[in-house]
Amino acid sequence: MLVLGVAFLVAITGTFVFAYRAGRHARQIRSANEPIRAWMSIPFIAHTRHVPAPLLFQAIGVQPEPHDRRSIRHLAHDLKRPVPDLMAQLQRAVDTAAHTPSDQPR
Amino acid sequence: MNDQLLSAVSQYGAPALFVVVAIAAVGVPLPITLLLIVAGSMVAQGAMNLWWVIGAASAGSILGDQAGYAIGRWGGRAAVTKLSRWFGKGVDLPAVEAKARAWGGPGIFLTRWLLSPLGPWINLASGTASYPWRQFIFWDSLGEVTGAAIYISVGRIFSDRVMAMDAVLGEVTWAIAALLAAVILGYQLLAYLRRAAA
Repeated sequence: MLVLGVAFLVAITGTFVFAYRAGRHARQIRSANEPIRAWMSIPFIAHTRHVPAPLLFQAIGVQPEPHDRRSIRHLAHDLKRPVPDLMAQLQRAVDTAAHTPSDQPR
Repeated sequence: MNDQLLSAVSQYGAPALFVVVAIAAVGVPLPITLLLIVAGSMVAQGAMNLWWVIGAASAGSILGDQAGYAIGRWGGRAAVTKLSRWFGKGVDLPAVEAKARAWGGPGIFLTRWLLSPLGPWINLASGTASYPWRQFIFWDSLGEVTGAAIYISVGRIFSDRVMAMDAVLGEVTWAIAALLAAVILGYQLLAYLRRAAA
């Protein structure tokens, strides 16, 4: 009886804790930008950050190609550059694009 | 490891997804929810076909689940114990078998997508408990297609917020699991109190 009661209270508490945490994450969806990760491709980053993909390709010195789905890690290997450098450069390009009005299709 | 899997799915699409979900269904801990959400996002970007992605994810999962069931059924408890040691997870097989018997088909269905960490163990336990294969594959297929359709659709709708959606879904899954546990325990508590009062 005691064990059942304690287990029930733990389950109820867990429900509220996880529901609260889900709500907190959900509120952040609108405000927070998607982070750039090494597994992401340039078109993927362009889509999540609402910037034109050619602009990001140009920023890292790669010929824009819509079907180029290489990850940042793969690109860094091909360009013989460190992954963090490439990610930082893409982040700067995204930040610049976000503050620059553009007529280019996204 | 997770980065490489996500890169592979991002670059090679549905075939890579098929292989990764099949491996995960056998019991290897991989970020399948995130992979499905990413695949959904790629559908929204026009880089993948929705039906191919749902088909590949479902087929891969069902194949992996069948492998788990077969290991349990024909390899017996010794094979399952060895497998659980490989993946660094000690498992109380008699307890999982008892759960598999008690939950039956709906248990198989829910552990495909809602309580997915239990899925591989339910596969093995269903095999060792000689749960009828036809019923297993019916509930398994139903659950896997449901799960793939839900997570891929979420990724498609929130295609520019995949990481955030993965975090939300992780918490929602635990909240639902805790709620289910609360309902079951509450029912048992109520039944106990009624018996005590009678």
